[in-house]
Amino acid sequence: MRNTWLVIRREYLERVRTKSFIVSTILLPAFVFAVTILPSKFVSMENKGTEHIAVVASNSAVADAVEAQLHATGHERKFEVDKHVNDNPDIRKSLDDQVREKKIDGYLWLTDQAIADGKVEYVARSSSDMIVNQNIRDAANDGVTRARLLQHGVAGGDLETLLQPVKVQTVAISGQANKLSETAIFLGSFLVAMMIYITLIMYGMSVMRSVLEEKSSRVMEVLLSSITAKELMAGKLLGVGAAGLTQVAIWAGFMAYVGTVGGAGASSQLRELVGGHPLLIVFLPVFFVLGFMLYSGMYAALGAAVNSDQEAQQWQWFVTMPLVIPIILLSTVILSPDSPMSVGLSMVPFFSPILMYVRIVAHTPPWWQIALSIGLLLATTYLIIVVTSRIYRVGILMYGKRPTLPEILKWLKYA
Amino acid sequence: MPTTLELRNVSKSYNKFVAVDDLSLEIEKGSVYGLLGPNGAGKTSSLRMMIGITLPDAGEVVVFGEPFKREHLDRIGYLPEERGLYKKMKLIEQVIFLAQLKGLSEPEARSRAQKWFERLELGSWVDKKVEELSKGMQQKVQFIAGILHDPEFVILDEPFSGLDPANADALKDILLELRKAGKTILFSTHRMDQVEKLCDAICLIDHGRAVLQGELREVKARFGRNHVQIEYEGDGDFLQSSPMVQSIHNFGNYSEVELAPSADPQELLKAMVARARINRFELAEPSLEKIFIDTVNNQNGKKENERKQHA
Repeated sequence: MRNTWLVIRREYLERVRTKSFIVSTILLPAFVFAVTILPSKFVSMENKGTEHIAVVASNSAVADAVEAQLHATGHERKFEVDKHVNDNPDIRKSLDDQVREKKIDGYLWLTDQAIADGKVEYVARSSSDMIVNQNIRDAANDGVTRARLLQHGVAGGDLETLLQPVKVQTVAISGQANKLSETAIFLGSFLVAMMIYITLIMYGMSVMRSVLEEKSSRVMEVLLSSITAKELMAGKLLGVGAAGLTQVAIWAGFMAYVGTVGGAGASSQLRELVGGHPLLIVFLPVFFVLGFMLYSGMYAALGAAVNSDQEAQQWQWFVTMPLVIPIILLSTVILSPDSPMSVGLSMVPFFSPILMYVRIVAHTPPWWQIALSIGLLLATTYLIIVVTSRIYRVGILMYGKRPTLPEILKWLKYA
Repeated sequence: MPTTLELRNVSKSYNKFVAVDDLSLEIEKGSVYGLLGPNGAGKTSSLRMMIGITLPDAGEVVVFGEPFKREHLDRIGYLPEERGLYKKMKLIEQVIFLAQLKGLSEPEARSRAQKWFERLELGSWVDKKVEELSKGMQQKVQFIAGILHDPEFVILDEPFSGLDPANADALKDILLELRKAGKTILFSTHRMDQVEKLCDAICLIDHGRAVLQGELREVKARFGRNHVQIEYEGDGDFLQSSPMVQSIHNFGNYSEVELAPSADPQELLKAMVARARINRFELAEPSLEKIFIDTVNNQNGKKENERKQHA
């Protein structure tokens, strides 16, 4: 026990005292924030200018209604609208020219004929700006509906009442209303998934590298002349894990602070997310610890089995792969967290540290599912540690040739 | 005499490779013992079993008169063949950590370490990292780490490899000092000159088996005084073909000759004087180096013959 404790203390202090620990504590959340949230900010920042479009309709009622709607719905964009009450197909040519010559950004072909034929078109230079397209679609729909209702004799005042949209609020069966916007949930889930993923890889590799360093520098032999391989491996995993947990706890503490007090400069989305979602903070350290215990044993065995960094790199995918799969499946699970596929995937022990956590953040599943996935994860971790500690114990004393997979399997049988 | 270590018919195999084969040896308390053998003979495998890194497949390891227990490790110091230190750790912390694993308290380890660092002229380096040190310095640190807990039994795997003559000499002095203090020392090496200067007893192993063992004096006497050491200038080639010579070890200006059973050394000297200028001609015991090479070659020859017979 004393020996394991000494190893834990060494591993912990060696990591926590370094500059890179402090730097990564600050930079990692910044990085994750940058890759998840900034791209969407960029999209909406772009083209803040005015969108100049032409609306072609057979009568002014439709054209006026569409113009009014464009001005009303365009939150992110301003629209300047040229109205053409003229359904002669010949003017399309001149409008096409105007688009090409960049006099207008596009035109909406909304003649009675087109509506009847179902051939309403928005012709634009580029068709990629999703927000503009969405605004124009909404405005065209709304405008035409209004014009039709007016034609049928509905008075202006009644029109607003009739068209008043219904707001649907999603409420979980447990009765608590999900107060968060869907964007916040989506980005938040992505953010925490990336944080777990990156920290698991970072600390897993740290275990691997330090085992390899002990082996290749022969510190291993000195250590083994005092303590057992089991004590050494336990000390290493617990020590590195404690360093990782310290870092994750700092982030969790920071998020709790932002959520409750609201730090300066914190984005409103972030504040909204963590403030309305204590489970997100609670489960961050929980799933880091669970995931680390599962994966670090494998990284330790990998470090013990190989002889050099190059060899380690060749084999690394073997351990990293099961961590990458949940990242690939991430958006599917976030978008439908309760589908049978998402539920099934979040039960798979190698995926659950990321996917179950994401499901909890996106839409908290029943407690029995959380308990089951953690139970399966713990059971698997136990098996993995039994197997990897055997590989570790033999591997750390094997020098020279890189072992083949059959050889490694043979190590499992050594007494 | 009480023994510090006994191996009783110890064997160890890795898969089909037999690293140690039915090895028995006894190391007396307070002696310096040399474990010799060519590369890959099973020296390191034997040492590893003495300190519980691996367990023997068969046989028994007896330490301080009792079957091996992990508690014994606190009384044993071990220096591996290559430097075994954390590159990024400060010297003082490194040594304290390793001593704590041997059961020392931190303050005790710190004060002892300070004394040793001063003594080996590393006093100004205690807060440096290992990677900033030269190889010789690292070896010294390794040594301090190995003996800081004042072990009764010190095991050193190839301690002189990679040391310059001055540092090798310093190490030799400390080893002699440890022996004077009653410690038992075991080291493995393939450098025969050091063994001759230091060891009380030796065991020569090859292919995992002991091929020669005993007290150094007794081993050398066993080979008799039928050896001649000759230093000369001129043509020594005729020695190769002379019927008076059973075997020869030629270094150019120096040759070690084993005489044929009936040969008279005086006749050899006469023949020699006719061809070369003789600076030294001495009838002596064979050097350990010659014994080593002859024994190992002999063993390999036997093996080769056996193989041919089987084929």
